[in-house]
Amino acid sequence: MKIRKLLTLVGSILLLAAVFVFDSTVKSLDADIGSWFYVRGAFVVLAFVLIAIYIQTGRKGRQPTMIQRIGRIAAWTGLFLGLSVVVSVLRFGDFETRAFRLYPRDYITILCSALLSVAAGIVAAVTILNLREMLLYKRKRGTRRNLWLLFGSFFLASAMTFGLRPLASTVYTTVFFVLSVVLIIVNSFRLSWIAYLSRREKIYAMVYSLLAFFAFMAINVLLSISDRPFLSKALLYYSYPLHTFVQLTSLLGSVYFGMAFISTLFHLPTAEAFDRKQSELSSLHNLSRLITQVFDLNELAETVTNMTFEVCEASGAWLEIFPTEAGRKGVRQTTGIVSKREVSTDEIQTILFGDESSVRSVVISSKKVLLIDDVSNDRRTRYMAKLKKVGSLLVVPLLSHENLIGILYAVKQMDFGFDQDDIDVLSGFADQVTIAIENATLIQRSIEKERLQRELLLAQEMQKRLLPQSLPVFPSVDMQAVSAPALEVGGDYYDVALLDDHHVGIVIGDVSGKGVGAAFYMAEVKGIFQSLSKIYISPKAFLVKANESLLSSIDKRSFISLIYAVLDVASGELVLSRAGHCPMLYATSSNVEYIKPSGMGLGLSSGSLFEDSLEEKKIMMKRGDVCVFYTDGVTESRSASGEEFGYERLVKVVNDNRTRTAEEIREQIIQQVWSYTDAQGYDDDLTVFVVKWNGAARS
Amino acid sequence: MNEFKISFRENGKVQVMDLRGYLDAHTAPNLEEAFQKLLKEKKFNILVNCKDLAYISSAGLGVFMAFIEDVRTGGGDIKMSNMSPKVYNIFDLLGFPMLYEIFAEEHDAVKKFDVRKQSTK
Repeated sequence: MKIRKLLTLVGSILLLAAVFVFDSTVKSLDADIGSWFYVRGAFVVLAFVLIAIYIQTGRKGRQPTMIQRIGRIAAWTGLFLGLSVVVSVLRFGDFETRAFRLYPRDYITILCSALLSVAAGIVAAVTILNLREMLLYKRKRGTRRNLWLLFGSFFLASAMTFGLRPLASTVYTTVFFVLSVVLIIVNSFRLSWIAYLSRREKIYAMVYSLLAFFAFMAINVLLSISDRPFLSKALLYYSYPLHTFVQLTSLLGSVYFGMAFISTLFHLPTAEAFDRKQSELSSLHNLSRLITQVFDLNELAETVTNMTFEVCEASGAWLEIFPTEAGRKGVRQTTGIVSKREVSTDEIQTILFGDESSVRSVVISSKKVLLIDDVSNDRRTRYMAKLKKVGSLLVVPLLSHENLIGILYAVKQMDFGFDQDDIDVLSGFADQVTIAIENATLIQRSIEKERLQRELLLAQEMQKRLLPQSLPVFPSVDMQAVSAPALEVGGDYYDVALLDDHHVGIVIGDVSGKGVGAAFYMAEVKGIFQSLSKIYISPKAFLVKANESLLSSIDKRSFISLIYAVLDVASGELVLSRAGHCPMLYATSSNVEYIKPSGMGLGLSSGSLFEDSLEEKKIMMKRGDVCVFYTDGVTESRSASGEEFGYERLVKVVNDNRTRTAEEIREQIIQQVWSYTDAQGYDDDLTVFVVKWNGAARS
Repeated sequence: MNEFKISFRENGKVQVMDLRGYLDAHTAPNLEEAFQKLLKEKKFNILVNCKDLAYISSAGLGVFMAFIEDVRTGGGDIKMSNMSPKVYNIFDLLGFPMLYEIFAEEHDAVKKFDVRKQSTK
């Protein structure tokens, strides 16, 4: 790229040098140049094409702004104009006119005209290249076509003069010249870039456009008037096509920048409004972006306050967010003020709570935007008249589904400081802010929820460890158990304890309620069981003591149902007591029955009433007998139609599977309950404990 | 799913609550509210008619336990009547018949309330 660029530069310099040598030779010999004239003309055209390529290549970097473009054009044109004026005034050279031809007076004249021509060519190229971008800004259908037509007619108009004597003209040159002028006017309406300038930029654009307009106008006049000044002669002598091209370019420049100047001038009064719309738009845009980015409520509040402050050009702004529904009316302090700018807490205190019917309470009850144009003379705000800082006040409620979640305040020092635009913008803004605040709150809540979920999972792990990891194994008895909570944690409990070398304590229980509360009581029962079972061998005595321990700590609406059985693994004798729990199912080869000694739940009553309610039952298990302990999750599991699994179905399952192993019986019960509840999952905690007697150890 | 409803009426000097539907952990707070209301009105002779009660869970049973003490301290009682066998079985399993008087028919229960004790207060 760089080498090519360099080649174009070197090429154009060599060509121009050759032209200079040629001109000097012609001058010194005073010869008739004949057909060499065309070769020279071609050299000049080629040189300028190379210059244009040189200027255009390697400009892929940052696009200059429109203002910079106009500035560049104005600067180049101004410099060129200055240069040509200096050259003309100092009379560095002159031409004699003979038969439509120009004859340079001396070698200086040749040099000067060469220099001026190169400068004119560069200025024309810079102008055209920059104007192209301006004309193509916000292009529509046809924009590009019009532009190429314009440039095309420029080139054709210039080409028509190729080979002509410097002061001659033909019909074609005139036709294309006129066509070019028409196209210049057509293209000069492409001024849409003006609309997007800020007020400040518009002023720059106006100044630059005016300068460019005068410079181009001057060049145009110098090149067009019949009393040819030196500049015109120099360019004509050097290259007629160049002269035409520069003339057309200066015409384009003067028309375009004249139009630009007038157009900008007319845009100026609305420039401020446009600036404002622009900044509102970018504020709203920024806010929308923030909504997806800022999850921190404080950071959000800060941004909202700053934007309010800037968008309305307020002298103070603050944001109040109501922590809860109740916090709105009760609190008479500035605790809800989450962020403020250019306003003190004392001032806010006065404005919000200085009067029973303050602007705050008005907006809270009306839920509508409140504008006070003249604070010191308004009846509603007389209470804050002493605040010099507040001339006008705008209060915007933040409403989410008719719920007031906060209020946005803006104050201005001037009376009548807020106009309809401010109200519209802040109202729109308030909707966005509401969404942003709600998002931030929701995210905070979901983080909190996630934390609780983790805690629950931890509790679940803990609770699993409270259940026996494995059951003791004896040759005489086969024990299998399973427990599944309905929620993360539950209130079902089972456990076993070795009481001595041949007695095993088996307990199954259900804490009233579900979830975390139940889980805590379950843990307590575990502690009681593990410590008391070894001391009170009799099931009844154990339950009495357990009741005493629990009563001191249990909530009066909670209770625990429990069955406690002590099995002699040597003889098969099973002694059990029931404290309000589901009866034990006992299946033998001849009979299936529920064993239901009387007894009320733990935690319901104290002392003798509880003790008197308890019965103890004793059975002797024979080979193949099965005992099933369970919680009400089994019998009360409901089908889709709402019917309970019930006691009869449990009897049937156990009876049908009595000859199987304890594990198979357990699986059958669970499976039947599951298929019965129609895959809705458990509705309650569910626990099954199966004991199968395989016969006394032969000793 | 299954609604739970409480309606109040008076049978002589006895406040009767008719329970209908499923009383479980979700609906128990309704019953709790009902009891609180009666206690606030100093109505301590409460008969719970369970004729249309389809189901009661441990959370529902807990509500009775929560208020019995206050009611009896106030000189009254909570009695129950007209339970279906299924509902009675749930009460019975837990030993409630040892703590509450449960009657087959409402009028038998009403007769048992010591109304004079209440009216002298």
